[in-house]
Amino acid sequence: MAPGAPHLVVRQVSKRFGAAHVLDRVDLTIARGELVTLLGPSGCGKTTLLRLIAGLESPDAGSVELAGRDITRVPPHRRNVGVVFQSYALFPHLTVYGNVAFGLKSRGRSRGEIDAAVGRALSLVHLEHLGARRIAALSGGQQQRVALARAIAVEPDVLLFDEALSALDRKLREEMQVELRRLLREVGATAIFVTHDQDEALTMSDRVAVMFAGRIEQVDEPRIVYARPATLFTLGFVGLSTRVSGIVAGSNNGRVEVDTAVGRLSAIGNFLIGSPVVVAVRPEHVRAAPETAGNCVAGRVRSIVFHGSNSLVEVDAGAATTLLAQIPNDVSAPPRVGDEIRLCWPVAETFAFPMPEAGA
Amino acid sequence: MTHAAAQAPAGKIVDRDRSAALAFLAPSLLFLLVAFVTPLILLLGVSLAGPSGLSLDAYGKLLGTGYYLTVIWNSLRLALLTTIFALAIAYPAAFALARARGMVRTALLTCLFLPLAASVIVKAFAWTILLRSDGIVNRILVGLGLIEAPIRMIFTETALIVGSVNIFLPFMILPIYAVVTQLDRRLSEAAATLGAPPIAAFLKVTLPLTLPGIIAGVALVFSLSVSAYVVPTLLIGERYPTLASTIAKAYLLARDPQFGAAAGVALLVIALIVVTLSARLAGRENSR
Amino acid sequence: MSARIAITLAWLCAIGAVVFLLSPLLVIAAASFSPTPVFDLPVGGASLRWYARIGALDGFWPALSLSLQLALLSTALSLVLGTLAAIALARGKLPGAQAIATALVSPLMMPGLVLGIALLQYFRAIGFNATWSALLVAHVVVTLPYVARTMIAGMVRFDFTLMEAARTLGCTYAQAIRRVMIPALAPSFLIAGLFSFLASFDNYPVSIFLTDVRTKTLPIKMLQYIDEAPDPTLAALSTLILIATIVLLLASDRLVGLHRMAGTGD
Repeated sequence: MAPGAPHLVVRQVSKRFGAAHVLDRVDLTIARGELVTLLGPSGCGKTTLLRLIAGLESPDAGSVELAGRDITRVPPHRRNVGVVFQSYALFPHLTVYGNVAFGLKSRGRSRGEIDAAVGRALSLVHLEHLGARRIAALSGGQQQRVALARAIAVEPDVLLFDEALSALDRKLREEMQVELRRLLREVGATAIFVTHDQDEALTMSDRVAVMFAGRIEQVDEPRIVYARPATLFTLGFVGLSTRVSGIVAGSNNGRVEVDTAVGRLSAIGNFLIGSPVVVAVRPEHVRAAPETAGNCVAGRVRSIVFHGSNSLVEVDAGAATTLLAQIPNDVSAPPRVGDEIRLCWPVAETFAFPMPEAGA
Repeated sequence: MTHAAAQAPAGKIVDRDRSAALAFLAPSLLFLLVAFVTPLILLLGVSLAGPSGLSLDAYGKLLGTGYYLTVIWNSLRLALLTTIFALAIAYPAAFALARARGMVRTALLTCLFLPLAASVIVKAFAWTILLRSDGIVNRILVGLGLIEAPIRMIFTETALIVGSVNIFLPFMILPIYAVVTQLDRRLSEAAATLGAPPIAAFLKVTLPLTLPGIIAGVALVFSLSVSAYVVPTLLIGERYPTLASTIAKAYLLARDPQFGAAAGVALLVIALIVVTLSARLAGRENSR
Repeated sequence: MSARIAITLAWLCAIGAVVFLLSPLLVIAAASFSPTPVFDLPVGGASLRWYARIGALDGFWPALSLSLQLALLSTALSLVLGTLAAIALARGKLPGAQAIATALVSPLMMPGLVLGIALLQYFRAIGFNATWSALLVAHVVVTLPYVARTMIAGMVRFDFTLMEAARTLGCTYAQAIRRVMIPALAPSFLIAGLFSFLASFDNYPVSIFLTDVRTKTLPIKMLQYIDEAPDPTLAALSTLILIATIVLLLASDRLVGLHRMAGTGD
């Protein structure tokens, strides 16, 4: 199969639990060797989607194809998937070796093949010396690696990670993110991560699928998800932003003029005049400079949070509106709390989204 | 998709989980219904079934005859004395057991489990050997000069209580031990540093905290010893009739099922009172 | 100072309790080597002749065989029934699961004798007079609560994600039960089985009402021997049963640990 060709295809998949619509006509296509993250708040359906791909749940509607085979009705033991569970789900009655060999034994491999494959998998995760250890005698990080080795050992068509790093402490988690990405590249694995941690999603994946309320809001490269959020939800869930609501007063060639409580702002977007919209901008595009072009708003500095090379400045622009600006710390006269300040940002970095309906 | 159509499969899934659970439970519940609940209801029926219809004669005989009142009292007395002596030994012993570490604890626990696993008949039989007039206890007492001639011990109430405490003691130690091991020793140390003398610290802190274990142990030992059959039969015999021996006699010798059933119901009621009372007390302890 | 006295007292009680609990067992073992037909301590010289006589006890072998059959079969049946029920209670999200669990364990509170006569009446009433089967049913009633109690506790602690992991690693549900659930729950199975086996093998008050002239369990036979002609043969038999029990306990201690067994009082 050519690289880039569809390897995993989820088509129009829906799933309900009781009255709750957990997945609503979800589509997702993943190429061979791609690392994709399902990112979203808890209850958005990301874990259910992962379990559907693993075969641990079955969809009410829709289909799942893996490596050119329709697996919608195939039970998990006859799909070739590897799952790393949040709790690791290591078998307590087996050694490290026994855990990693488990899937190979199920597949009826010979003793020699199993030995070789277990050795390979354990050396990939740097645990080749711990094969005889009991699971209870391992640290959290080591258990994580054993779970990974167990899933990799069977050479699955797709590796599924369900919040697999969330049990580790912050430092170890960041190390594992980097190492895991390197390792998955090395073995050329296709992988799906489920996480609610946006840093993890942006660090580890080729593409991020942002999920909300049973639907995929956007699937794109991390850079695009961040810089060009497709929906207000994505904008709010990934990264910081300033949001101001208003009414469209003018519209021309993909640009709109919006009347807001802090004055007229220009933004990218196509809306009818009179539409209620939300105008948004990322704090790193907001400058405390006397620019002439773009959007400008004046206000008073309410707080400053120091972040090393820059500071996050919260500015009260009146009319219950707060602006966020990321100001570099190398400027000669950094703003202080209480200062009057004028903030400007380019129209090209200003987005307009339709106003969410009440209650949504 | 209409609303009703969307609802149907979801409902089915919850039903499937629940019906699988019920299918797993059904064998046990059906078995207990057929082989446990029904027989007990039948027993109640038999105790009320006279030669000519419904009758309370059996209960009248049981509660209206001096002899049978003594029998009931004998059962209660046996249970009461066994429980008191067992508690007196078990309570301090459980503390020592909980303080023990390593090999000592393993050895002590083994010594508790071994008798628990040994047959009741074997142990009761051993006490008949120990307490015979030419038995070991008598020889030791004579050898020490505490008594001049062997005294009769077997077939006395002393023998009965000694044997009964011996057999049911582990059931008192284990629940108390389980509670004491969870007890934080620092608690009573904290009470001591607050100026409470050890006795007061014990009464105000330790005793209330170990009460659940005491309740469990007392309920267990009382309900086991009130219906004991093998121990009284071997260690005291005919001279100390109990509800248990009355039931056995009514069925195995006298062929008087109605009366036997009534005695059985009486024993059941005593057991139920003990269980309910202990559950009530334990519940009050927990809600405190 | 008084704290030290209390601790000393506690230790005295513990040591006294141990001596008290072990003495009947030691006496039985000692008496089984008695050189004379009366129960004597084997001071002059030990004798093994009583052991040789065990097999000659009237009706010993059929009774032993019956008791072993009942203990093994009722334990096996209880393990199947109790484990299924425990899975349902741990996973089924059933309303009133706690009440059902209490109901399953409730025969434990029942005086054995009462259960015996109730079953006797019942079997008579429905015309069920196959002694062996009647005994088996009764023994399952006796052993099921022990198994249910231990298995429910074990199943609640069992992580069912392990089953999912096994299934994604190529196991059918049945294979996952065999390769993961059963070995991971081995300690619970072992403890449940041990308690169940001993409860059945030692049962007297239920069995006594359900036996007939030809079908008697070992405890009933033993009480009969004690009644008829107590001699050191019985001590020898008791000692053998004790040794078998010790071997069973040591084997389970090797596998599970006694401390954990002490904790099963929940």
